Amino acid sequence: MTKIKFEDKIKELETIISELENGNTSLEDSIDKYTKAMKLAKECDDELKAVEDKISKIVLEDGKIEDFEVKDNA
Amino acid sequence: MDEYQTVGEFTHYLKLMFDTSTKMRHVLLKGEISNLKPHTTGHLYFSLKDETSKINAIMFSSSASKLQFQPIEGSKVLVRGRVSIYEATGNYQIYVDEMLEDGIGNLHIEFEKLKKKLFDEGLFAKEHKRPIPKYPKSIGVVTASTGAAVKDIISTIKRRYPIAKVYLFSSLVQGDLAKDDIVKNIRLANEYDLDVLIVGRGGGSIEDLWPFNEEIVARAIYNSRIPVISAVGHEVDYTIADFVADLRAPTPTGAAEMAVPNINDVKKYMKELEIRLNESINKSIKLKRLYLDSIKNSYVIKNPVLMYENREEKLMMIIDKIDTLVRNNISNKRTYLNNIRNNHIFVNPNELYKNKYIELNHIIDKLELINPLKVLKRGYSLTIKDNTIINSIKLVNKGDLLDIKLNDGIINVKAIDKENIDD
Repeated sequence: MTKIKFEDKIKELETIISELENGNTSLEDSIDKYTKAMKLAKECDDELKAVEDKISKIVLEDGKIEDFEVKDNA
Repeated sequence: MDEYQTVGEFTHYLKLMFDTSTKMRHVLLKGEISNLKPHTTGHLYFSLKDETSKINAIMFSSSASKLQFQPIEGSKVLVRGRVSIYEATGNYQIYVDEMLEDGIGNLHIEFEKLKKKLFDEGLFAKEHKRPIPKYPKSIGVVTASTGAAVKDIISTIKRRYPIAKVYLFSSLVQGDLAKDDIVKNIRLANEYDLDVLIVGRGGGSIEDLWPFNEEIVARAIYNSRIPVISAVGHEVDYTIADFVADLRAPTPTGAAEMAVPNINDVKKYMKELEIRLNESINKSIKLKRLYLDSIKNSYVIKNPVLMYENREEKLMMIIDKIDTLVRNNISNKRTYLNNIRNNHIFVNPNELYKNKYIELNHIIDKLELINPLKVLKRGYSLTIKDNTIINSIKLVNKGDLLDIKLNDGIINVKAIDKENIDD
């Protein structure tokens, strides 16, 4: 259902930031890592904005997936 | 004078007391059946006991035949009856009119038994529990499609983390058919790529929640490849499912809160990360720039001449040294050569042999003195026979041919006679 997981993107972002903060990378590597991190951050930001209208679905016995609305006649 | 009653009288009195007491006529007891002795008549004779005490009981066949269950030794039961005294023995006992299974009691026994069994098998082991993904995108829910539980879960997720999707696997959650339905839905959910699975239901009685204490449900949860959060009943309810699950939530809402993070917290965290990212790269660049500046400002870079000034000087010194050495060398050699040239032998090579010349003359003079040929000039002669110089008469015989060598020639002679000087 997903390509690269959101969780993995955040982990990679955290790793790159740690490396940059340690300051042991060369200038070229630093800039490369920074560019990559910015790209990841933008992707994560976009995902956080992708709110769906219909978040709930029901999976029927035959495997069909339909939209599901909570019925208030509890 | 004290009145003495007979035992029978007193016992009868006691029986009357029991039989006229309202309380004794309507007794509700709960306990465990022990010493059950069914009679051929259909009457049941047993004791009802607990940890501290026991009471004898009889259930007549008329009542016993109406029982909805089969009582056995150890059954936990609820009885309604009257307590009286059997006069002949003096024992009090309860005459049971109605008996029900103490469902709850029995359920508790079953619960403890199953809990121990699965614990011993290791189904509850902490090492087996999987971590719940931090940022799940797809959340499965196994619960009833109606009711508060599903509403709470979905609304909580929508509120907290609206970028996630919820997939409901509608299931029965109470009754005899529930356990199989729950298992089926857990298995079905495992066919999808979900990040986490919430399994549960709203509050209810212990019988209502019972499907979540069933062994097959526990095993289905254990075998689920997707991490499971259990959410059964209220805070105080603990079911077997709760022990097996990877995480236990006190309520369905709680489960939703455990399953997803608060999106505002995540957004805040992302901002923090971006700030850290920018700060770290800026700091990196700044440090490199400072370093570059310090190099540019370094003494040597500013005065590159310094780098070789010293060397030049050194080089000059070395050249001078070599120069001096070579000159000295040449000068020494020259002096040496001059010394040789000036040696008086060179100047007077005659000196070399003058002495020798003198010496030679001396030798020549000496030789002259002992020159036998000079002796011959004075008149002496050499007598030769067969090329041998004769120095004794013994070597010559009469008639020998001899040569007499004189200073200026040779005379060939023949020996006539010889004589000794001694004579």
